[in-house]
Amino acid sequence: MSDDGAVVLVVEDEQPLLDMYVRWLGSRHEVRAATTEAAADEAFDESVDVVLLDREIPGTSGGELLTEFRNRPGRCRVAMVTGVEPDFDIIDMGFDDYLTKPVTSEQLTDAVARLLRRDEVAAMTRRLFSLARKRSVLQASKPSDELGQSDEFARLEREIERLRNEIDASLERIDSSEMVSLVREFEAETDEPTDAGGGPG
Amino acid sequence: MSYDTPSFDVEFVEGTSALVSGEAREARTAFYDAVADGIASGDAAIVIATNDSPEHVVSALRERTTVDADRLAIVDATGEGEDGVVDGVTVRAVGSTGDLTGVSLAFAKQLQLLEDRQVADRVRVGLDTVSTLLMYAEVQTVFRFLHVFTSRLGSTDLLGLFTLTPDMHDEKDVNTVRTLFDTETRVDGGEISLRGTGYE
Repeated sequence: MSDDGAVVLVVEDEQPLLDMYVRWLGSRHEVRAATTEAAADEAFDESVDVVLLDREIPGTSGGELLTEFRNRPGRCRVAMVTGVEPDFDIIDMGFDDYLTKPVTSEQLTDAVARLLRRDEVAAMTRRLFSLARKRSVLQASKPSDELGQSDEFARLEREIERLRNEIDASLERIDSSEMVSLVREFEAETDEPTDAGGGPG
Repeated sequence: MSYDTPSFDVEFVEGTSALVSGEAREARTAFYDAVADGIASGDAAIVIATNDSPEHVVSALRERTTVDADRLAIVDATGEGEDGVVDGVTVRAVGSTGDLTGVSLAFAKQLQLLEDRQVADRVRVGLDTVSTLLMYAEVQTVFRFLHVFTSRLGSTDLLGLFTLTPDMHDEKDVNTVRTLFDTETRVDGGEISLRGTGYE
């Protein structure tokens, strides 16, 4: 997913704040705005990549709306924007991130970029695992002098190195909430039935 | 400033995560030595223990040095403990050993606690042991968990120490996990040897 041109839904009941957020994000993304639960419901569809959700929306709570978004088709990231400093537990509730008000333009655009990048990071760590695994299998089955002469093995080593550096660069400034969200996602992925698992049948 | 670790005769570079590998008991002894080296020089520490109770962690460190309870925090990942305070040291418990989200969350809270106490500039974060995680969770999940976890330590210049007992696992799993660590400290019959980068 590219950082640019993503669809961002902002749910915020204070109109001046909402207008400001839309202005900040509008140059890079397609922004949809909603001040009420009904409007959020209306604006949400499969094309939404990121939702920024105010904690206090009249008639509902952020948590209820989150559940609703999660139950709908499509895969989006939801960050809560909250007036009070939340506990990390908020990540456990199913939010991908949170921002504490007041947020600056930079914080908001950074957060959206980070959320969009998360799929990429998850995919890269999965790929790194499979390459590292492949290398370990070769190391276990072939004598080291033979591996030393193999162009293919050298390519594998270079690819591992390159990918590691790329991931390290992406995670250079990772904070605690991002760490917890990613680990939660890895565990969820493991629980999901996959075709690659080679189950019965 | 690097993390001086006389027990290994080494100074680890900030942000490094080192594997401490060897037979379980020996690796654990070396692990506590390296954490205690830090505490003795004024570093804070977070110990994530999958086998030892918090009481055991505290006493293992107190046997080695004077421990300021405010500079130590424990994550009890045995799956048998609960949140509380042991000998003045704050403990956060994880419901089950294989719950890596729980481990991350408990660690995040303990780091926050040390930050609130303003002692989080230099923290040694120790996980004893990766071997238990590999028994309770998929190797792919453990691998990816370790990757983001060590990245988190790197992003704030902390020192990570992770024990592993290679003989307990398939060689392929061990070598896969090794990919993530710049440094490996091998303990074998009292001999300590280091490989990789990340130290001076």
